[in-house]
Amino acid sequence: MNRVRTLAAAPAVVIFTALAVHAQRERPTGTEIVERSQQAFYYAGADMRARVVMELVSESNKRRTRDLTMLRRNDPKSKNQKYFIYFHEPGDVRRTTLLVWKYYERDDDRWIFIPAVNAVRRIAAKDSRSSFVGSDFSYEDVSGRDVSADTHTLLREDRVGDADCFVVQSIPKAAVDYTKKLSWIDKKSFLPRKEEYYDAQNQLARVFTADRIEVFTSGTGDAKKEYPTVVKRTMANVKSGHRTEVTFSSMQHDVGLDDGVFTERSLESPPQKWIQ
Amino acid sequence: MVGLADSQRTRRADAFVNRLTALSLDHPWWTIGLTIVATLAFAAQFRKITIDTDPKHMLPVTSPVRQHNDQVERDFALHADTIVLGIVNERGVVNHQTLTRIERLTREIQKIPGVIVRDVVSLSTIDNVAVRGGQLLVGPMFDAVPGSDADVARARTSVLENPLFVNRIISRDATTTAVYVPIEPTANGKAIADEIRALLPSEPGHDRFYLAGDPVARDTFGTEMFRQMAVFSPMAGAVLCAVLWLIFRSTLLVVANMAVAMTSIIWSMGLLMGLGYPVHIMSSMSPVFLMAIATDSVHIFNEFGFRFREVPDKRRALLETMQAVAGPVFYSDATTAAGFAALATATIVPVKIFGLVVAFGTLVILLMSFTLVPAILSLLREDRIAAITRRTAGDGHRPGRWLPRLGWFCSRRARAIAAVGAASLIVAGVGLSRIHVNNNMVHWFKSGSEVRTADRILNANLGGTSTAYLTVQGRAEDVIKAPEMLRGIEGVQRELEKDPRVGKTFSVVDYVRRVSRVLHADDAAFDRIPDSAEEVGQYLFLFGSSAKPSDLDNVVDYPFQNANIFVQLKSWDADVMRDIIQRTATYVGSRPLPGAATIRPAGIAYFNLVWSDEVLWGMLESFSAGIALVLLLLIAQTRSLRWGVLACLPLLFTIALIYGVVGLVGKDFDMPVAVLSTLSLGLAIDFAIHFVARFRERYRQDPRLDDALVWTVARPGRGIFLNAILFASGFAVMALADLTPYVTVGVLMAAIMLLSALMSVVYLPVLIHLFHPVLLKEGA
Repeated sequence: MNRVRTLAAAPAVVIFTALAVHAQRERPTGTEIVERSQQAFYYAGADMRARVVMELVSESNKRRTRDLTMLRRNDPKSKNQKYFIYFHEPGDVRRTTLLVWKYYERDDDRWIFIPAVNAVRRIAAKDSRSSFVGSDFSYEDVSGRDVSADTHTLLREDRVGDADCFVVQSIPKAAVDYTKKLSWIDKKSFLPRKEEYYDAQNQLARVFTADRIEVFTSGTGDAKKEYPTVVKRTMANVKSGHRTEVTFSSMQHDVGLDDGVFTERSLESPPQKWIQ
Repeated sequence: MVGLADSQRTRRADAFVNRLTALSLDHPWWTIGLTIVATLAFAAQFRKITIDTDPKHMLPVTSPVRQHNDQVERDFALHADTIVLGIVNERGVVNHQTLTRIERLTREIQKIPGVIVRDVVSLSTIDNVAVRGGQLLVGPMFDAVPGSDADVARARTSVLENPLFVNRIISRDATTTAVYVPIEPTANGKAIADEIRALLPSEPGHDRFYLAGDPVARDTFGTEMFRQMAVFSPMAGAVLCAVLWLIFRSTLLVVANMAVAMTSIIWSMGLLMGLGYPVHIMSSMSPVFLMAIATDSVHIFNEFGFRFREVPDKRRALLETMQAVAGPVFYSDATTAAGFAALATATIVPVKIFGLVVAFGTLVILLMSFTLVPAILSLLREDRIAAITRRTAGDGHRPGRWLPRLGWFCSRRARAIAAVGAASLIVAGVGLSRIHVNNNMVHWFKSGSEVRTADRILNANLGGTSTAYLTVQGRAEDVIKAPEMLRGIEGVQRELEKDPRVGKTFSVVDYVRRVSRVLHADDAAFDRIPDSAEEVGQYLFLFGSSAKPSDLDNVVDYPFQNANIFVQLKSWDADVMRDIIQRTATYVGSRPLPGAATIRPAGIAYFNLVWSDEVLWGMLESFSAGIALVLLLLIAQTRSLRWGVLACLPLLFTIALIYGVVGLVGKDFDMPVAVLSTLSLGLAIDFAIHFVARFRERYRQDPRLDDALVWTVARPGRGIFLNAILFASGFAVMALADLTPYVTVGVLMAAIMLLSALMSVVYLPVLIHLFHPVLLKEGA
């Protein structure tokens, strides 16, 4: 019995070894993997529109819901992006809007429209590690982090579920809330399947998981593009027991959002066409 | 009165004890050898030792206050234990060097295992809500430590302008700042405090650093208690040996006594460890108590001294001695054991265990009194006994004459002495009525100690090192956002701040007002609660959207149904918390919160209040249970209700006097004092037991009342005084301790012992003399 299994396993070993040698030759660096991953995760398409539901779940399993529409447009000439966010829920903040001009290598510009005072206020955005609308995600977790801010090392390869992944370690160059991050990056789609953030005591503090991936398309025929997207994701703070579950729905790419959508004016009078 | 069966049983018991003693006398080396073997078996259990220094474990996890506190902590993402690192600089803490230090210290502190990294609060981690150059700032106070003088000046202004920081993060005059370090419930506060201390700069310049907070005090106390016990147990032992030797001038007697003490300590501690219980702060005190209880064998030595002179045959003298003291020794140890076993009625587990350990140890002492002690005494050389006898019986010299005189004085001046007693009872009554129940764990350290100094300085400069929570509990979701609810909460805050011991309060109201002002271009007129719940909701959403989520979570729960008011207290007095609860109840009574919302206290200050109350009343309950048990035992021994009550009187009188003095001098009736009353119970009763038993025996043989009384005062009375002196000297050593509860225990215990010996030897003859018509008609 044992011999049979060993014999059966032999060809598999040969194939795997060959694959490993092949991978070794073509092995990308940690930085290259993270670059490609950011592209797939944060920059899919020229623009994007989605309805996003964020569930903030406390340690005692109480929930707060943020229901919002998110619009994104990539600057065609740089890695800069613009985000427009309209809040549907919670009820008492309906019509609150948030505009973020994300710059790749400096502090973002952020504005918020607060219906109660009927005015737009500019928000100083010194810390992109701070929480995004009270969730376990930081602004950077939502819109991406400067690749050169960390030192990336490809540690090994691993499987998450049915996906072959690169495991990349990222160490921040300047002190931030985490001291080490491990990312499991899908070899095919380059989407992160799992991320682990370690704190100052080098203990696991937060865990990101890509819970469901769907492939969206835009265009037809030759212009048809595929965008694999993490439509359900969770960030769990294993220290506090708090977690945030995010679900993306009615997602569309390359819808033709123009720059005019991402202005202070639309904070006060949101572009209804895109919000609904 | 006495049934035949009863007397038969007694006779059989007596016969058994006699046979045991005779056996030990005839085979001393076997007895000693067997004892050593058994002792080694118990000593072998010592390798299973586990130590628990956390006083928090005194309340069972299932106690309602602990469960409620845990619930509050979960709902508001709070931490039970927070260490406060205070930094004082007379020239102001907002300067480049100090801020750089704070930044570095905060980062290093976050690396210490046991520290809750994400919630360390300091100038370098706090979130500010402000307007900067027309922009809204909701986020970290500093992005970098300010460098230039102008930057530092700006930083100073911006820290002081946020009312949320003043008295919490920074003092109004900016000379003091604090780093709040929450730690895991399982972490040791002292160990972490020590690690923080190691991080402090070796050349502090103008900065001074102070560590305070409940976990530091508590765990330092726990550790210190063990350390002090390790010093004072042997020291008490040494003092006992010295005093014993001075009395009897016999090394063998000292050895006999210490052998009994050590045997009982090893057996009881071995049993405790063998059963897998951790050695807790309370049980670490057992050795001192057992050593003191073991001095009971002095009665045997004393009587043996007298007997040997009357019957100069060692074996017979020993047997007669044991026969004479068997009753009182048995009952005094039994009452001691009962007194300690009464602690098993306490709700606090370590107190229960302590009581049972000492009770078991006392029974071991009882067994040894009839086996090991006679065996060792039988090894005495006859020529050495003569010397002991001379000293014991006083040989017609000082002690011998002094006590009979006292005896005569007591029976002649019975009325006068009784009058003095009645008068002192009245004074004691006044003192008792003034007793003030309070508890303050920081005051368990001496005034000049590091813990107390840190606490004093931080309380003088900041809002307070002790924290209470008042949780506002609404009946429906979102009720907290209602402006009238916020106004109600604010009213409670302003009311509480009228108490000078409340240094700071803050709640969701303070965040709402801050955001309102900042959204309106920092206009002071908008530093107010807005008029609609929607506005409140949006302000809180804005705040919660950028700051650390925990900032908001700490003051309001997820469905906005409950809110939490932080109350910083400048004192650890349980009393202050009691007043806070009272003041809140009165205020809310006259101005009810909307929607019938209620307020419940929680937090460490409240926990300490409940804890001390529970210990205190638990102790009083145990005390009553102990009195009842002891009384029953005494009635069983004397076979008379009257004699039983009589034997209890000197002890009650002593306790009334001692606690009367505590009330008169204004010392708080705190936990250590409360524990004492129960502990002293089983010990101080011994003297009366010996007196009553020996007197009645003597009176039966020779019914001349006053002669019998004088004989009792002179002979067993001497044993009583020797016992009390030994007892007192063992405990008095603890007066040198660094922790005030030990000083209290040492001094009061010594006082109780001496006073109750005096009360027994003076007031028992007086009372017997006055009430003999009632007492003696049945007993004799």
